[in-house]
Amino acid sequence: MSQTSEPEPAPPASKAGRTKLIAIVVAIVVILVALAAAAIYYFRLGGPCATPASLSDGPATVANPAWTAAPVIQSPEPTDKAIGSPTQAGTITVGFTISLTGRYTVEGTNSLRGLNATESWINTHGGITVGGQTYDVRLKYYNDQSDSGNVNQLYTTLIQQDGAQFLLAPYSSALTTAAAPIADGQDRVMMSHGGAADTIWTSTNRVNLVEVLSPASSYLKGSVDWIKANHSTDRIAVIHESDSFSTLAAQSAITYARSLGLTVVYNASYPTGTTDLSTQLNAAKLACADALIGGGHFNDGLLIMNQLKTTWTPKFVSLLVAVTEPSFQAQLQATANKVLGPSQWESGVTYSPALAQTTGIDWFGPTPAEFTQLYGTLNAGASPSYHSAEAGAALLVLADAIRRANSLNTAAVRAALGTMHIMTFFGEFQIDSRGLQVAHSMVVVQWQAGALKIVQPQDVAESPVQYPYTGS
Amino acid sequence: MADASVIVAQVIFGLIRGILLGCVFALIALGLNLVWGIAKVVNIAHGELVMLGAYGAYFLNLFLGFNPLLTAPIDAALGLAAGLGFYFAILHRELRGKEAITLQSEMVTLVATFGLSLAISNLANIAFTGNFVGIPFDAGSIEIGFLQIPLAGIYVAVLSVVIISLTHVLLNRTYLGNAIRAYSQDIPAAKLMGINPTAVAAIGTGLAFAVTMAGGAFLTTLFPTGINPYMGALYAPISYVIVVLGGPGRMWGSLVGGLTLGIVIDVGQIFLGVEIAYAVAFLLLIPVLLLRPEGILR
Amino acid sequence: MNFGRLLRSAPTLWGLAGFLVVLAVWGPWIPTFVLTLLINLLLFASLAYSMNFIAGLTGYVSFGHVVFMGTGAYAWGYVVGTFGWHPLAGIVAGAAVGLALALGIGSVALRFRGVYFAIATLVTALAARNIILVIPALGDGQGIILNLGFEPLTWFYTIWVILGIQVGLTYWVTHGRIGYGLRAIKSDEDAAKALGVDAARLKLFVFAFSGLFAGAAGALNVWTLSGVFPEPAFDLLFSLQMLAMVIIGGMGTLLGPLLGAVAVYLPHNYFLTVAVGAEFIVIGILVTFFALVVPQGIVGALRRYVPTLRGIIE
Repeated sequence: MSQTSEPEPAPPASKAGRTKLIAIVVAIVVILVALAAAAIYYFRLGGPCATPASLSDGPATVANPAWTAAPVIQSPEPTDKAIGSPTQAGTITVGFTISLTGRYTVEGTNSLRGLNATESWINTHGGITVGGQTYDVRLKYYNDQSDSGNVNQLYTTLIQQDGAQFLLAPYSSALTTAAAPIADGQDRVMMSHGGAADTIWTSTNRVNLVEVLSPASSYLKGSVDWIKANHSTDRIAVIHESDSFSTLAAQSAITYARSLGLTVVYNASYPTGTTDLSTQLNAAKLACADALIGGGHFNDGLLIMNQLKTTWTPKFVSLLVAVTEPSFQAQLQATANKVLGPSQWESGVTYSPALAQTTGIDWFGPTPAEFTQLYGTLNAGASPSYHSAEAGAALLVLADAIRRANSLNTAAVRAALGTMHIMTFFGEFQIDSRGLQVAHSMVVVQWQAGALKIVQPQDVAESPVQYPYTGS
Repeated sequence: MADASVIVAQVIFGLIRGILLGCVFALIALGLNLVWGIAKVVNIAHGELVMLGAYGAYFLNLFLGFNPLLTAPIDAALGLAAGLGFYFAILHRELRGKEAITLQSEMVTLVATFGLSLAISNLANIAFTGNFVGIPFDAGSIEIGFLQIPLAGIYVAVLSVVIISLTHVLLNRTYLGNAIRAYSQDIPAAKLMGINPTAVAAIGTGLAFAVTMAGGAFLTTLFPTGINPYMGALYAPISYVIVVLGGPGRMWGSLVGGLTLGIVIDVGQIFLGVEIAYAVAFLLLIPVLLLRPEGILR
Repeated sequence: MNFGRLLRSAPTLWGLAGFLVVLAVWGPWIPTFVLTLLINLLLFASLAYSMNFIAGLTGYVSFGHVVFMGTGAYAWGYVVGTFGWHPLAGIVAGAAVGLALALGIGSVALRFRGVYFAIATLVTALAARNIILVIPALGDGQGIILNLGFEPLTWFYTIWVILGIQVGLTYWVTHGRIGYGLRAIKSDEDAAKALGVDAARLKLFVFAFSGLFAGAAGALNVWTLSGVFPEPAFDLLFSLQMLAMVIIGGMGTLLGPLLGAVAVYLPHNYFLTVAVGAEFIVIGILVTFFALVVPQGIVGALRRYVPTLRGIIE
């Protein structure tokens, strides 16, 4: 740094003018070459070099040398694509980005496995029939590193380079918010499986973004309902992470609880990455709360449970996200017992073709047991989490919508999605005019003697809620 | 929360917790303070040392069952080696032969350690994965009324104060300490007295790293989870504030700064919430720098 | 100053101008997925020039520069989301807030030298994020979710304009009287003061530019993301990347920030798919290496070791 600090001599303008002009040209050429090299490198990335991230079993898509092409959006009709491209005729490419590293590694990886499972189910059950022709589903994805800054570039690459005809949203509300405008701008249907914040739909106008899971505001409602029905004098403390999803879930729960006449005696938030909540837990205890609801993601769920050991034993604990992860119980052992948590889905849910028939709606896809089994086969015996199920269901619903629309046209498929009311292994699917999920219902689970049991709602419960929480 | 006795109970708990936390913060900041005071180098990778110390405690617990108190000396030994390595790999180039540290070398070391901090935390992210982990160490707790104070926290707080005192004694009552202080005050004069500046600066850096990594191990007992590759991003700024509060080069200053910060954070969040309590703790630095640049002790 | 003379006297400026003009003319024909890459590249270059104003020209290293991006982003989100302003007007609002904040922070923090300035800016950024988290009007933890469509060309030309102004300003600042003052401050502030340089005003002047453009770039960044969320908006990694770009490219130079942005941002895609997670290890090692061995950065090293380039690149 000492070098740059010396005063620079002003270049003598009269001297060596020609060399300088040459140098300017050289400088421009160098910059352009660097840019061209970067561009070529980038194009290659979008082509066959990117296949490490591809799931395709068939021959990889060889991209057209796109630097010769005008910025024309590829037509979603497969017949156009087949020319000059070795893509199998009869393949529907579904593109998405997923978080395989960064903050959402666990959720992203589980989502991807769920997608693999349903992709496999669709392709082994005759694919999707459109206009009398059958198509296989091909997934094409990139790792977005849990960073919304990567989303624009990766989704446009998926659409233009990889010929994705349909899209799935990334995991998390922030990334889904960033990706959604591309679905509208580039005319693709996008299925959201991990962006739960209601405000994505309620605060703006979306066209092509369709939600498959229950929105954030409904996460803690089941727990509040149970308190109201069984211990309506219990005072509630809410301690939640101050990120998009958790704040929305917790604030909706507070509003809902108060509307039911319950008392919320304590409410505090904490930033992502907090390592100490003993002050808040103590405050909740001193405020004479009986029930604790809130939390955020896995790390803070674990933190709350660990610090409850030395601060407070509430009678009722219901935490977001963390509780449904098997490692929650593995790390906490007996402390996890009688802890409740909301879940989008559990393998024990009782959705079935028969139930669909009684409800008067159509059934599509594998049963919960079949999905769990298929998932286990593909992932060395692992059992699916709700993140796996919601992602898998998003692909199933999309496949069914394409089949119903009998077309690969975005508008037709979106229209089909708007009128569908079906049941899959994940539960019911129906959206309102904005694309927001209205039919799917969440369940409440509880760890009981080391096993995760569905305890709410009553009609699908495997076991009644064990109350109170005792700390072990 | 309207009840006054509830608020009093909360404040008592906040104070106790803040003091325990503050002692460990002080130990961590002491490591930064030593390098800052002796070699006039601000180590931006300081937070990463805390992180490595914490992971050291975690892995020794995982594989050998050591508790974090036992791990601290091992961490300290590793830290000593790392400090010597760091001095000769990075600082020696800049400090060698200089009679006083110029602003320019100060900025060079600042930027160099900033690069290191990025590299180390991201290497750790690959090596240890990004999951938050913790050490299940429960030494029991004492009950004050309806509050529980974990004993492990008291142990590490006391040990931290002991280590800070020992460092103070080392610097003020031993030949090595005199040499280090002489070096930090006037390098040419120290040389005239037959002090080898390289040896003194290297030992000082090693000592600083040892203390920091031990502090990282202690920290794990205060938080049940929270060991993660990027934890340095929180403890480095906290250490800067503490050192500025106490005044660079003053070992007791670290303790005062640490306690101030611990109490501001733990009592402050009762009334202001975590977010604002931390914001206040961070922003404390500005008025101190403006009004008392030598630290609040003077 | 006639055109030919300016052309000969400022080859780097004209090189950069040529580069920008080529990009602008090519713009409408660039395939969208390349355009999105270019938008991010120009955004990073813009951030690098913003950091260059303060760290490069005065030697004051700011670790908390993301505070301007973050507040610019929130200003944008607020006026666009709550008042329904046009996003471009929102960018102006972001720039204005960045400027105001820079004047505020600068008038205090610029009194601290060296490390103290770096630390003061760092804690300000950390505190700002925490404060934003509890302001309900800014969506507290929920952030601000918007849907303004996918308009890569608009984004591209907006960031193009911002970057163009920055390049011009950088040239103007380094080649006028201000430039001499700044170089004097950078090499020895006390001596400069003794010579009659109004150090406080000059530093605040460039710091204000720095905050203004970081605010504008932060606002554009969240426009491309259609929403403002506290964690990504105040991600300290931005600060660190800005610093890394300037250090690698060359502190205080005209071409350096762009080269730094290319060096730091372009490999990003490689790290996304192939060497996952290694990106910041490499950047970190590069920064350490440059700080210790090539403190002048790429541009400074070229000037030093390639004599013919000395009069050309700056």
